[in-house]
Amino acid sequence: MRRRVVVTGAGQVSPLADSTDGLAAALRAGASALSPIDLFETAGLPCRQACEVRGFDPAATLGARNLRPIDRSGRLLLVAAARALEASGLDAEAGRARGVGLALGTTFCSVRTIAEFDRRSLELGPSHASPLDFANCVINAAAGQAAIWHGLSGVNATLAGGETSGLAAIAYAALAISAGRADVMLAGGVEELSFESFLGHLRAGRLCGASDPQAGELPIPFDAKRNGFALGEGAALLMLEAREAAAARGAPVLAELLGHGEAFDPSGTEEGLAAAVERAIAAALDDAGLAPADVDCVFASANGSVAGDRAEALGIARALGARAAELPVAAIKAMLGEALGASGGLQAIGLLATLADGLLPGIRGLERVEAGFPLGGATAATRPVAARRGLVTAAGADGHAAALLLGGREDVE
Amino acid sequence: MTPAPGGAPSPRVAITGLGLVTPIGIGKDETWAALLAGRSGFAPVESFDTSAFSVHVGAEVRGFDASPYFRRLDPASVGRASGLAIAAARLALDDAGLDEAAMDPREAVRAGVAMGTTSGEPREVERFDDAVLAGALDRIGPEFLARYPCHTIAAAIARELGFGGVNAMLPTACAAGNYAIAHAADAIAAGRAHLMLAGGADAFSRITYTGFARLGAIAPERCQPFDRGRLGMIPGEGAAVIVLEPLARALARGARIYAELAGYGLSCDAHHMTAAHPEGEGAVLAMARALSASGAAPEDVAYVSAHGTGTPTNDRLEVLAFRRVFGAGAPRVPISSIKSMLGHTMGAASAIEAAACALAIATGRIPPTANLEDPEEADLDFVANRARERDVPLAMSNAYAFGGNNASILLRRWAPAGG
Repeated sequence: MRRRVVVTGAGQVSPLADSTDGLAAALRAGASALSPIDLFETAGLPCRQACEVRGFDPAATLGARNLRPIDRSGRLLLVAAARALEASGLDAEAGRARGVGLALGTTFCSVRTIAEFDRRSLELGPSHASPLDFANCVINAAAGQAAIWHGLSGVNATLAGGETSGLAAIAYAALAISAGRADVMLAGGVEELSFESFLGHLRAGRLCGASDPQAGELPIPFDAKRNGFALGEGAALLMLEAREAAAARGAPVLAELLGHGEAFDPSGTEEGLAAAVERAIAAALDDAGLAPADVDCVFASANGSVAGDRAEALGIARALGARAAELPVAAIKAMLGEALGASGGLQAIGLLATLADGLLPGIRGLERVEAGFPLGGATAATRPVAARRGLVTAAGADGHAAALLLGGREDVE
Repeated sequence: MTPAPGGAPSPRVAITGLGLVTPIGIGKDETWAALLAGRSGFAPVESFDTSAFSVHVGAEVRGFDASPYFRRLDPASVGRASGLAIAAARLALDDAGLDEAAMDPREAVRAGVAMGTTSGEPREVERFDDAVLAGALDRIGPEFLARYPCHTIAAAIARELGFGGVNAMLPTACAAGNYAIAHAADAIAAGRAHLMLAGGADAFSRITYTGFARLGAIAPERCQPFDRGRLGMIPGEGAAVIVLEPLARALARGARIYAELAGYGLSCDAHHMTAAHPEGEGAVLAMARALSASGAAPEDVAYVSAHGTGTPTNDRLEVLAFRRVFGAGAPRVPISSIKSMLGHTMGAASAIEAAACALAIATGRIPPTANLEDPEEADLDFVANRARERDVPLAMSNAYAFGGNNASILLRRWAPAGG
């Protein structure tokens, strides 16, 4: 028998805030995380901006234990996990006893750790490459470190896949809980900003702000002038739990995970990606036994990419039909940038806030959607919406699509 | 109820196709023949210069050209692991008697891919590093992002075959193949896909080689799992893909059924990044969960495919965990490590081992542990050096990984009557 899955907490690290409430407030205020990059040298590159977590101080959350063996991806994740555990009222001992699992989305984990390990070995010889660093060269390193740090002895899975990987991880955890293979799992994702990832995205022509390195250029999802995205970073996790297990321990219940869906576009075309987004949303609705009219808002993954945003908008419009024309749409990557593995969790956290108090963040910088754009409810202004249920969608540059349907308190009760 | 992080797929899931690209053979038949004959794939490393290391041997897939397996994609558009994986996927699909070109488009959109890996496409980041060290950043172009992220392996298979369903990449290191197979079975059981290609792929890599060399884990010449004189593992590469589909669908189309996926068990040590739990705690849990999910008892298991890397620590702890699960019956259960011949093919390893279990069930033969001269524990049956004729109704395959990830799967022979 299929069990119901609820959200009992969330935690995040992002460039805009330390807390989930702080993030919601910053998004609603239209704060931008865009700044010149501090983390690595950008001299000589045509783009020097990103959405970086500045002044990150993991020890403030994690205490004085030795963080040396843990890289930036691991540290971002450890802090987000600590916050999610705390928010859901599970301390270390209770978490250990309950065998908390972890499903983590990421694109690279730490390509910086991997590349520096390799370069050090090449420059100085293999005997200078550190075995400690090698432990972090596997792509499941952050998930493994979090399991050790927080005593997460349940299922431990890493799902790789760019913009959709966070939602894929949440879906993985939901499937495990609903089928009775787990009671409680952290699910979401992590991504660190690194020179390697930044240069890769720059060379692929994906980034905005690459025509004048001095000027800075905001990414504007869905806008007719959009010109690419800003690379971001962070970590974001939901605590997912079987409804009866959450009730039994008196956990706070923020929302119910009503459905999820995934699809892939094998054609590599805008049309194909739109169709994949449409199938993912249809699968999520079908999973929940709900209709397009039941969707009250969307937290889209649109990041300012010319083709990706259009494909996602088309896919949403087709899946939701008439409902799409007026549907309130948020696109938080206008403010946070594209945080890849962390994005799905950040979008879900944004939706949780909207389900709680009915305020939907506007899309910073949005002036004019392009002609024939199918989503009428994308606006620059933050506004109140009647949101009982909301979708989180994601469309990836490599063809992946994912959708998640969350319901607020009325569904839980 | 006490949840078990393992599962028995319902509806039942059949394994109907096997595709292998390994250091000892291309395709199921060649690889299986080599495994039964005890042939190994160890040779001096060709893909990079090992002169700075004290070890020089690896298990590479030599002289292999993946391009004949490509029909849609440009072979140059993907990295080496993706090429190995596409070849394995096409071999598996052919082996299952399926042809994506003949597939109804409504079926293709519900066909998915789940792949595991340790390092993804490490050669792409190595090329990046070469450019950085040469002060030639201008050599880095769009191909880095197009080919490096590990999820491009699963994406490349789906693009090549036109599959529009679930597309998952599980980089859970050296247990990744089993994770991917388990995830694929779950997708089928949940009705989210009606055909899944699942497995693992990894490309031979100087980063991986350097890391294991720094851990002192690489043997100088050969891999000798469970031998007292064992000196370590041998890094390798390869890919394996398994075709999974609902049993009812396999029966309806008259497919050859190698085995059913009876169940799986996952666990996390939450103990150490690169060392297993000293009492084998996580490994025991994974095996116990797989047995429980399959409704099987230890005495039902006719063959155990060991993780068996050949490092002193892995094999000692693995035997400890094996004894804890199988108890007094442990000496009666054949347990072998085909890494003695293949080396450690990383994310591909447990997928290759799953295929070997399916073949053991289908053919009634158990592949040996090669190079075993002085067994660590005299009372256990490591299937030393010679393949064994033996009826295998139920096989267990174990995999352990960095990050403390443990994954055990159970494959059961499908029998028409009462199965």
